[in-house]
Amino acid sequence: MANEDVQKTLAELSRDLQESKARLEEAQRVAHVGHWEWDLETDVVVWSDETYRIFGLSPQERPMDLATVRAMVHPEDRESLYRGVDEDLVAGVRPDAEFRIVRPNGEVRTVHSVTPKRWSSMPGDAKRDASGRPYKLFGTVQDITDRKRAEEALKQSQFYLSEGQRLAHMGSWASNDLGIRWSDDLGIYWSEEVYKIYGLDPQNGAPNLKQYLATIHPDDRASMAETIRVMHEQRCACDVTKRIVRPDGEVRYVRCVGVPVFEAGVFKAFHGTTIDVTEHELLTQELRRERAYLTEAQSLTHTGSWACNLLTREIFHSSDENARLYGFDPSQGAIPFDRFYNAILAEDEVALRAKLENAIRGGADYDVEFRIRRTDGAIRFLRGIGHHNPSQEIGEYIGITMDITERKRAEEEREKLRQLEADLAHINRVNMMGELAAALAHEIRQPIAASITSANACLRWLARDPPDLERARAAATRIEQDGNRAADVINHLRSFYKKGTPPEREIVDLKDIIREMTALLRKEAVRHSIRIHSELHEDMPNVLADRVQLQQVFMNLMLNAIDAMKDIGGKLTISSRLTPEGQLVVSISDTGVGLPTENTEQIFDAFHTTKPQGTGMGLAITRSIVEAHGGRVWATANQEAGATFHFTLAAKAEADA
Amino acid sequence: MKSAAVPTVFIIDDDRGMRQAIHDLVESVGLRAESFATGEAFLGTRHTGRPSCLVLDVRLPQMSGLDFQRRLAETGMQIPVIFVTAHGDIPMSVRALKSGAVEFLTKPFRDQDLLDAIQQALQRDQTAQEQQAEIHDLQERYHALTAREREVMTLVVSGRLNKQIASEIGASEATVKVHRGHVMQKMQAGSVVDLVRMADKLKLPPCK
Repeated sequence: MANEDVQKTLAELSRDLQESKARLEEAQRVAHVGHWEWDLETDVVVWSDETYRIFGLSPQERPMDLATVRAMVHPEDRESLYRGVDEDLVAGVRPDAEFRIVRPNGEVRTVHSVTPKRWSSMPGDAKRDASGRPYKLFGTVQDITDRKRAEEALKQSQFYLSEGQRLAHMGSWASNDLGIRWSDDLGIYWSEEVYKIYGLDPQNGAPNLKQYLATIHPDDRASMAETIRVMHEQRCACDVTKRIVRPDGEVRYVRCVGVPVFEAGVFKAFHGTTIDVTEHELLTQELRRERAYLTEAQSLTHTGSWACNLLTREIFHSSDENARLYGFDPSQGAIPFDRFYNAILAEDEVALRAKLENAIRGGADYDVEFRIRRTDGAIRFLRGIGHHNPSQEIGEYIGITMDITERKRAEEEREKLRQLEADLAHINRVNMMGELAAALAHEIRQPIAASITSANACLRWLARDPPDLERARAAATRIEQDGNRAADVINHLRSFYKKGTPPEREIVDLKDIIREMTALLRKEAVRHSIRIHSELHEDMPNVLADRVQLQQVFMNLMLNAIDAMKDIGGKLTISSRLTPEGQLVVSISDTGVGLPTENTEQIFDAFHTTKPQGTGMGLAITRSIVEAHGGRVWATANQEAGATFHFTLAAKAEADA
Repeated sequence: MKSAAVPTVFIIDDDRGMRQAIHDLVESVGLRAESFATGEAFLGTRHTGRPSCLVLDVRLPQMSGLDFQRRLAETGMQIPVIFVTAHGDIPMSVRALKSGAVEFLTKPFRDQDLLDAIQQALQRDQTAQEQQAEIHDLQERYHALTAREREVMTLVVSGRLNKQIASEIGASEATVKVHRGHVMQKMQAGSVVDLVRMADKLKLPPCK
């Protein structure tokens, strides 16, 4: 019985043992903890199943010895591990080591091997030989790789956080008390970077409220105290930028953001960040200043800046001055594109639109002038310069608009002055012509008067009874002489005129002359709202003529036409045609006041003028030039309005013949 | 004696043709003509004694006709002037006529206009010369009177009676009558009225 019992008990015990061993194994597997036994005499090592697993082996795969274990330790940790263990053993300290192992598949794991305190402190802990030196050691080994990794990661992220704070000049803080207690001694937590920002030593700990407020710049101190008080009372968030004074006197701008933290509706603490925004703030101030200067400059020069998309009519930017140019109030908010555009005068809009469309199509820059009606009704001249960046959307322009009204007015003044000078020159010319005419008149009148008087005398001698033929003959002779004298004056004048302008006949392309004269007179024409238009015969032949004289003919006739339309505007048309006889007929037509109703032929006479400043020479000269070229000149009244002057010239083929 | 003198027309014109033509025209109507190219040449000749006039061109080489007219007046030479000009204007003609010109003609002029002007000018000159001659004559007669006779003449033309004259000069009435007779005779006055007119022409100062 007893034996049976013992047997039974043994069997039970054995089963229990097996069970607890299995439980232990299971526990070890779950916890990644194995145990080991090391026979210091034989260096035989006995491992639990989990220890095998930790080392990447199948449980009880093969017996272990120290050399095998040693070979599995990471080469870098091997030396230190065994030296440490030896030292510990000699010193009687229980070995406790962390080291890396290399699994057969090459995987590196970190393990923690320790001899339990309980074991080492008790006599049976390490089995000892007679000399007292232990000959068997027992310990556990734990795979702490995952923990290690987590630790590493945490360390890394903490490093990144603090490094990030350092780099961003940003610290964090927390206060449990701020919302609960209100006293000068309230405690707060500061991260290391906050100390750096405030230039304070972390060793001295975070300041209390009183000390904290002392760091604030005197000008900002009251408002900061108020902010904290409000946070305390209302448990609200804050976001303030204030100046602090560091112990060394340096002033820094610091932005402080704080939020209340609630847990299940219960206030817990304030958390926040502290950022050194000095550089940012200085930059902002600088920008603000720059902007103020720019605004000032824009308003001084009446220049507005803008950015917009002309196609979508979106405005991305419009400076205050840009709005003021149009008379808009910039404080009234953004002004839509169409309000700007509708201010443009209708008569300028068409040309402007064409130019803008061209620029948009070509992706080109533009520089345009146009007039607007400002909101106060004033007409202003604006100049717009737009720049298109090829990387931008089509139609997107950035540019400036300037008020150039004053400049335009000055230009107009200058133009008036120039006109005055021209008029003066004209009057001078008229005066000179008058002088010349008077001198001529005297020169010619003298012999004519003499001959008339002589003729009278002659008649009286003949009327005598008896007639005095001798004296009559003498008088008649003088008449002849005086008549010749008058003719001489005229001949002399003619030769003088010829000497001045020797005829220079060359092959002339009338189109060239018309182009030149049109260019020359365009400004004058535009000023009087006159359009110059030409309808020239396609195969207009060249003519053999004096170029300068022909220019004079065109100039005279075109100026006449412009004069006729001066006050009413109109259209000047230059046309040409070929007659069947090969004559070239050039016609210069206007839509002006027209011809005098009678004595139409007289207009070509010298000194005949209908204009207050006219010399009456223009048409006379024209006629003499045209006639000298073998042509003729005449005028006709237009059906509708105005007059047309025609002249003929022999085409070159004829002139050659 | 005066009517026998042939009037002379002087012509100053720098234009030879014009000068000759006017000269000839003047002669064709039976007048004497003398012509000069410049004013200086004219001043260098003697031309007194007979009625005359001057046909003057406004525009002269050295001196304008208007300036020449003023210079003539300054030298006391009184000769009617007819201006002719190849180009005259109204202010110029006004100035000329104000300075005593007879006419202002613009070349070419109608011959009759010039001749009429010449006639008028000669008439004016003759009248002036006759008046001048008469005064000259009277002055000679007046200078022939004794001092006492001049005294009496002054009192007579003042309308004094012989008796009054006698008491004023402290002589007898008979003596006054003798002086008076001499005055009337020497002055060749037919009546007291005649004598008064002569005194007027002589511009004698009235007595008292």
